Amino acid sequence: MTTLVLGIGQSLRGDDAAGLEAVRLWQGKYPQTAKLIRVETSELPGLGLLDLLNGVDAAILVDAVQSAAPAGSLLRVGAADLASFAPDALSAHGWGVAETLQLGRSIYPWLEAVHVTLIGIVGEQFEIGAGLSPRVRAALDGAAAMIESEVHSLI
Amino acid sequence: MKNIEVPALARVEGEGGLYIGVKDGKAVEIRLDIYEPPRFFEGFLVDRFIQEVPDITARICGICPVAYQMSSVTALEAALGIEVGPEVNALRRLMYCGEFIESHALHIYMLQAPDLLGVPSALDLAAVAPEVVKNALRMKKIGNEILKAIGGRSVHPVNACVGGWYRWPDTAPLKALLPELEWALEAAKETVKWSLSLPYPNLEIDYEFVAIHHPEEYGVMHGEVWSSKGSKLSVNEYETRYIEAHVKHSNALHSHTSDGGHYLVGPLARLNLNHEQLLPEAQKALRESKVKLPLTNPYKSLIARAVELVHFYEEAIALVKSYNPAGPAHLDLKLRTGEGCGMSEAPRGLLYHRYKIDKNGRIKFARIVPPTAQNLPRIEEDLFAIAPQLVKMEHETATLTAEHLVRSYDPCISCATHFLNLKIEDKK
Repeated sequence: MTTLVLGIGQSLRGDDAAGLEAVRLWQGKYPQTAKLIRVETSELPGLGLLDLLNGVDAAILVDAVQSAAPAGSLLRVGAADLASFAPDALSAHGWGVAETLQLGRSIYPWLEAVHVTLIGIVGEQFEIGAGLSPRVRAALDGAAAMIESEVHSLI
Repeated sequence: MKNIEVPALARVEGEGGLYIGVKDGKAVEIRLDIYEPPRFFEGFLVDRFIQEVPDITARICGICPVAYQMSSVTALEAALGIEVGPEVNALRRLMYCGEFIESHALHIYMLQAPDLLGVPSALDLAAVAPEVVKNALRMKKIGNEILKAIGGRSVHPVNACVGGWYRWPDTAPLKALLPELEWALEAAKETVKWSLSLPYPNLEIDYEFVAIHHPEEYGVMHGEVWSSKGSKLSVNEYETRYIEAHVKHSNALHSHTSDGGHYLVGPLARLNLNHEQLLPEAQKALRESKVKLPLTNPYKSLIARAVELVHFYEEAIALVKSYNPAGPAHLDLKLRTGEGCGMSEAPRGLLYHRYKIDKNGRIKFARIVPPTAQNLPRIEEDLFAIAPQLVKMEHETATLTAEHLVRSYDPCISCATHFLNLKIEDKK
């Protein structure tokens, strides 16, 4: 079984970097698990997400999200919930995770067989050049533990 | 759970708003309000070493990083008074082919086609025509693969430097792309045929087209700045005729000609001025399309992109086949005080750079004129042309119609213009 952990986010846009930071922290804290599976980070995968998912059995995507929940909250979103997202943020060049998965399901039958889970870290500020907000930084340990537990449920 | 937005708004680059002032049922004022990032980059570059410039300016755009790299290296090489050899140039062209391919395939199928076909997005297109979108992604991917094979990664590739390349890319990964390129060339020819079947709104504009022209190759990095009004300038003379100016309503500079006219850069300009330099398969596709040049309908820039796709796959195939690097990948640089201009054709139009450097190779001045800044006044003027229709439409329809026109120029602010806020104000 091939499992992928993918950290997503722009490193120079505040809390958007949470996905990258969480995956790196998890790799450092749980090296024994991390070395067993494929780990990638991507600043802006866009439609390239579909290439990253091709050939894997399961993928855990770790990304910053916006939500009514307080900043630093951790959300686990299964494939069914991800599929039902209304892609109101659809733009030409910045394909987000939900709409890319939705597009992929329309054209690539193999994608149905990939077990996709999203670990979302609720962010609050996405300014260019800003670092992580204190509440998101404080949530990284929890996010790393969540990745670890998610990986163990798969392998 | 459904109120979570993925991705965050952080992935939106810039903001676009359109304001239309109406008096007595007629549009009297149109403003495209834009936030445009490259201005800050000119400041970042001051006191940076010349070799940092290609990789810093590449970050201005995730869709056309190669254009920024190529315009900057050619400008800085001019400042140093050096000229790279044909092998370096051939690989630069190949990398540029990769960029045209990924950008044009994305724009044709994922951005503009949904507008023309009257579906809200490429997602909806995929639902009704999955094979079309599947082929589009396959066509686009080969462009990213070229960037990866030359520049190490498919977005924001590295490896280009002032004087050439940091290292010659390995031959095998490039040659391995040939079967996909051959497939894509055929797919591009089909794309031209398909592009002719799309329903384009009627809109003919008397444009001044401006593009790089070279007598022996499809103008991308070398040649003169040609205008359809007859002007022919060297890159060093560019700023004598094409002038940037601040306008009150936009953070982006707007360009105009020295006599105050607005002009169009991009695929329509290139095809109209340079169709004789297209490679044979692209020439054939154009001839068989029976498209009459010059094309003057902005929506039909999609057809120009489709013809260019044929050209760039064709050129990529030839360049990959002949790739056989020998000798040093880059020239040794002898630093000196100097000034240089460079230009290249980004997929969305001419991109001009000028730098002044000191004797230690530090940037003392930088000017970057992106294609979208040159097209913005032209886009506003074209919006005026459709304003009589817009003001009679329901707000939602008017927004979609205005967005469609703006998107057809493939501006770098596409992300933002997808969220176009249309404000129609009655000035009575």
